[in-house]
Amino acid sequence: MITYHLSLEYDLKAGWLAPFVDALTRGEAMARACADCERVSFPPLRTCLCGSRRADWVKLSARAHLVTQTRGPDGTFALVQFEGADGLTTCAIDEAADSSGPSEPSAETLCLIASDDPPRLLLSRES
Amino acid sequence: MWDPKVVVTGAAQTPFNRRKDGTGPRDWALDAFESALEMSGLEPAQIEALYLSSESDFFALQLNPASVIATELGLFGAAALRCESGGASGQAGVQAAVMAIQSGLIKHALVLGLDASASGLPADEIRTLYGFSFDNWTDGLTGLSATALYALSWQHFAAAQHLDDGHLTPVTLQNRTNACANPDAHLARTDTAEEIETSALVASPYRRLHCSPLSDGASALILSHVDASPRRQAPCIVGIGSATDHMHLGARSEPGTFRAKRQAMQKACAAAGIRPTAIGIAEVYDAYAGAQLQALDALGLSDSLDKDLRAGAFSPEGRCPINLSGGLMGQGAPAGAIGVAQVATAARVLEGRYHDGLQPAELPDYALADTHGGVCTTAAVTILRRSAAL
Repeated sequence: MITYHLSLEYDLKAGWLAPFVDALTRGEAMARACADCERVSFPPLRTCLCGSRRADWVKLSARAHLVTQTRGPDGTFALVQFEGADGLTTCAIDEAADSSGPSEPSAETLCLIASDDPPRLLLSRES
Repeated sequence: MWDPKVVVTGAAQTPFNRRKDGTGPRDWALDAFESALEMSGLEPAQIEALYLSSESDFFALQLNPASVIATELGLFGAAALRCESGGASGQAGVQAAVMAIQSGLIKHALVLGLDASASGLPADEIRTLYGFSFDNWTDGLTGLSATALYALSWQHFAAAQHLDDGHLTPVTLQNRTNACANPDAHLARTDTAEEIETSALVASPYRRLHCSPLSDGASALILSHVDASPRRQAPCIVGIGSATDHMHLGARSEPGTFRAKRQAMQKACAAAGIRPTAIGIAEVYDAYAGAQLQALDALGLSDSLDKDLRAGAFSPEGRCPINLSGGLMGQGAPAGAIGVAQVATAARVLEGRYHDGLQPAELPDYALADTHGGVCTTAAVTILRRSAAL
């Protein structure tokens, strides 16, 4: 057996997703509103579920409501409903901001928080 | 309905496990290939193409692996390509080979499933790589693990189907019990329900024993045009189907429904000219216990999961035995080898060649192999028919 160490540093280009990715670093939610069917996708979709690629960037409130969640050693992750978005969004929940744990799931409101290295869908529970 | 021309003339696999014997993927590839070739009665020079199913270059640090394996196996001059679609990679290879033979371009192909998903890298690094099986700009960089995404999907499915987390345990028990009669199985375990339900939490409600393991291994199929087949009893591939769902779980109207699998099954059944109720045994993609139940629903193999589970419909003696091999949870999960091994199992069962204690006494007419990648983001199914049922 040989042991071989490979270290990789990727320089990933966000391309058309740049407004979404840049907004995550500010704790903002940039979504895509379809010009044809008006569906608002978050994470943004280049091609809407209706098939259209005509869309505009829109800024959501960054507030979301918990739908389902899962917990484990890797953290807490959830499907949430962002205010102003159609469909659900998968995200991580920053439990360090609230270690008291969830109350009734449907009653919980969360807020997107700024993240970097990497920018990601990270939410905290609102007290 | 199509005119099926492809038969399975050779089917084999190595044991699936975490290798500690100093062997590597090239050794496993040769073992599986030689066994399948012997069963087929063909010579290496008759193999015109290699379809290598392998999920990731990172597992064994080998890009362009198909050309390397072709050389290792002595398939000099044969066409060689690598097939990848996440967890569905194995059946992606099968289906690519079926289409090539069905078209009349070639007569014999080797489909080889191969991955070192256990011993090549530390388990945490393998899981990190698997986390990029989803949209890397959203789920991947957010750190969502495969288990977390499956756990979220299961919760939506369970709520819609009026199931609960208690339904996960019988699936786990049955698959691992089946694995106990499979000498190639990774996890031939006899855990109790309590041990399963109190094993380490991974992503609620999933606990460690509800999950499939990381495994090493290889599987091989020799697929032949029926007119060139040296074996008259070889089962026939009568239907294939594949489909995709939205890459974002949250963009799906029903996050718990495996819609791509349903579409893939509809395509395969249309090709075979059958309904799902004709399936006599099925190897189903049970990366997690709940995923098996989601699959059975999407494949149309059950109208009432709770009722069928209670009736033992999916046990080896039941109406439609599921995962006789033990499935991913019992037999193991070397990513690229999974789908190839499923078809190999189905073919061996249809010929009455499967392991003692698991081989059904009455040969079924039809068998199904089912895989998917992502959280059923890409699905691929294959339907086989017993030769005597032609």
